[in-house]
Amino acid sequence: MLFNSLPFLAFLPIFMTFYWSTSGRARLWVMLVGSLVFYAWWDWRFLFLLLFSSLVDYSLGILLENEPEEAMRRRLIVISVAINLGLLGFFKYFNFFVQSTADVSTALGLHPTYNALKIVLPVGISFYVFKTMSYTIDVYRRTQKAERDLLRFTTFVVFFPELVAGPIVRASRLLPQLARDHPFSYERMVSGLTLVASGYVRKVAIADSIAPLVDIRFAHPEAHNAWSLLIGVYLYAFQIYCDFSGYSNIAIGLARILGFDFGINFDRPYFSRSFGEFWTRWHISLSSWLRDYLYISLGGNRGGTWRTYRNLMVTMLLGGLWHGASWTFVAWGGLHGLYLVTQRLIGPAYQRVIRALRVPSVVSNAFLMLLVFHLTCFGWVFFRAHSFSNAFDVLWGIAAIRGARLADVDNKWRILKCAVLIAVMLGFEATSFLRKGQRAPEFSPAWRLAFVAACAWVVLLFGTFSGNNFIYFQF
Amino acid sequence: MSDVRRALIWFVALVAIVIAGDHVLAWVLHKVLMRSQFRYSRLYRGGNSADLIVLGDSRGVHSFYAPAIEEVTGLRAMNLSYNSMSPRIAEAILMDYVEHNRPPRMVVIEVTSSIVSGALASELQTYAGLSPRLAALYAEEHPVAAVAGRTFRLFPLNSGFFLEALHYMWQTDQDWIHRDAMPPALRTRPRNPWRLVPFADNVDALVRIVGLLHHRGIEVRLVIAPYGPSNVPVNVTAYAALITRRAQTPVWNYVGAVTDPDEFADQVHLNERGSRVFLRMLQRDGAFGMTSPPGSMTPFHSHPHGGSQ
Repeated sequence: MLFNSLPFLAFLPIFMTFYWSTSGRARLWVMLVGSLVFYAWWDWRFLFLLLFSSLVDYSLGILLENEPEEAMRRRLIVISVAINLGLLGFFKYFNFFVQSTADVSTALGLHPTYNALKIVLPVGISFYVFKTMSYTIDVYRRTQKAERDLLRFTTFVVFFPELVAGPIVRASRLLPQLARDHPFSYERMVSGLTLVASGYVRKVAIADSIAPLVDIRFAHPEAHNAWSLLIGVYLYAFQIYCDFSGYSNIAIGLARILGFDFGINFDRPYFSRSFGEFWTRWHISLSSWLRDYLYISLGGNRGGTWRTYRNLMVTMLLGGLWHGASWTFVAWGGLHGLYLVTQRLIGPAYQRVIRALRVPSVVSNAFLMLLVFHLTCFGWVFFRAHSFSNAFDVLWGIAAIRGARLADVDNKWRILKCAVLIAVMLGFEATSFLRKGQRAPEFSPAWRLAFVAACAWVVLLFGTFSGNNFIYFQF
Repeated sequence: MSDVRRALIWFVALVAIVIAGDHVLAWVLHKVLMRSQFRYSRLYRGGNSADLIVLGDSRGVHSFYAPAIEEVTGLRAMNLSYNSMSPRIAEAILMDYVEHNRPPRMVVIEVTSSIVSGALASELQTYAGLSPRLAALYAEEHPVAAVAGRTFRLFPLNSGFFLEALHYMWQTDQDWIHRDAMPPALRTRPRNPWRLVPFADNVDALVRIVGLLHHRGIEVRLVIAPYGPSNVPVNVTAYAALITRRAQTPVWNYVGAVTDPDEFADQVHLNERGSRVFLRMLQRDGAFGMTSPPGSMTPFHSHPHGGSQ
């Protein structure tokens, strides 16, 4: 079920009615059944996979906690990781690895025969596998107590707001919240609805309006001039941001209305002045997951400079692969790894130059923001392209700027509409960003009323109602 | 006051403000829409007196450059074509035109638009409040959105047409045409042989339009405009014969008449230069000549669903 679909608009009030009219374990049952209905709307057969994954990690969590012997505990965590990655590997990467092996064999002069399987990628598998895997790793590390209530654990895994596209809310945050009832709160409802409304604006009015403009440019880059392609890349940067941050806002807002705190998943990433900062602002629940369970497990920044660089590269390459079974995603991750390594290499020298030249910090910060944004956009080309040749067609099309006229760009009014909406969104973000460390003001219910009403008008006037998938569903 | 009661009051206030704002904003934006020089704003504002009307999809837009028609023929021309406009929609547009404006002396229809499905109907919601015909077509294609459009008045203004109307607020939209020549990559890209496959209801609509125009004494020209040199549909002769037979009116087939790639914007659409060349051909061949004197037309009678009479 999509948040931007009619079935969800019918589902939500029914769910809310049952949710608020129950408490205790009955409410957990409502959350579980509601979440399963939400998921089954896509394909009920994959409920079994979801429940299997929950049951395995529930059992392994208890075994890990009960087991005193370290060697046995290590074996159990290996089993947990193997099962989780096995599920992910089969459903998401099997054909990719088979195809890649065949390509390499062919390049070596061999002529392998192989059959690709018709495998349906279960929606949300990348998210719930990471969630359950982090749970067992935390239990193994003894930073998380094993959950012994199967109902509560399964509800933690399948809770619908974050089930199919995150944010990846870890056990340490969500399980304690599931252990108590959350009474209805006026403040939470108003602030949650505000977030939900902003999420719909981002998704329906901005991301989905941008989508066709980007699609036609990446489908036929040869038919577009340099300006048109450059605009397409910029637009994609905001499409993916608004699509995913929109989903996150809706998920976090819905959870807030229900009484849960998911944290934040995006924190104005395009205002980042470095790639280190970017990854603390973009898809925070994933980047912190990769840091805690991959980068640190590889050794983090212990073991010297080169090992740190290696760990950064490995983390980002695998982070890229997590997004999709394609080498273009790996390239995207690799680019970000290179950015992070380069930043560590030349960052101190840059700071010395800035200090020596007495460049005002506002100028330096603006330069760095623009630089980080444009290098991020360069990476997005590989993320969006369906192949390397497609990515290079777009990049060469931009590079061959001769003869291109801005006046020849198609759909100028649609682009202008998107640009205005993006500018307004960035204006809101800049306002809070410029407040720096100051505490965010408490918005009054009247202010929130005006904001939600304005969001409704924007969605009515500029929304796209074609029921577009959220981009991160495919991951 | 309990949290539930406060939430209820807040929610009711929200609904009231959303609806009130929706009505006020839509009223203002509708005023803006109707002041535009965009073709459909002009149509529904009324007062036009074009001698020649063009109907079709994007090929109608880019093949029949209205300023060039006026130069070549001396007739006042108005191109009502739009990207993806099928004959079913063209029928409603034409009927609305003659209800709101002086009937034209001639209607030119680019007939390959019969292969277009009703995609444009979603755009036409912007003017659906002014036309029961468009409203019916829109409701047929998008029943849920049609209800939303009746509930929220801003929703019908959520369209590319409204943006176009803003773009053409102070300038004519009859100047809209491709001006660039086909990019080299499109000239050399191989294309598989393809066929014109008309939708039956589009052909039916075309037949109704032609019958109606004949009945009213308005000249009608069914035309197939040129396709790009390497993109001529393989069945164009049979297609023209089908339309001719069904509409009982000859089709002026110019499918391969323009061969210079510099006169195309892509393999489907002429550019301004190509349009001028094509229009001179039509004039040379007598396509714009009137066979009946002006003033012999009988007035249209409105029909709410655009059907035949």
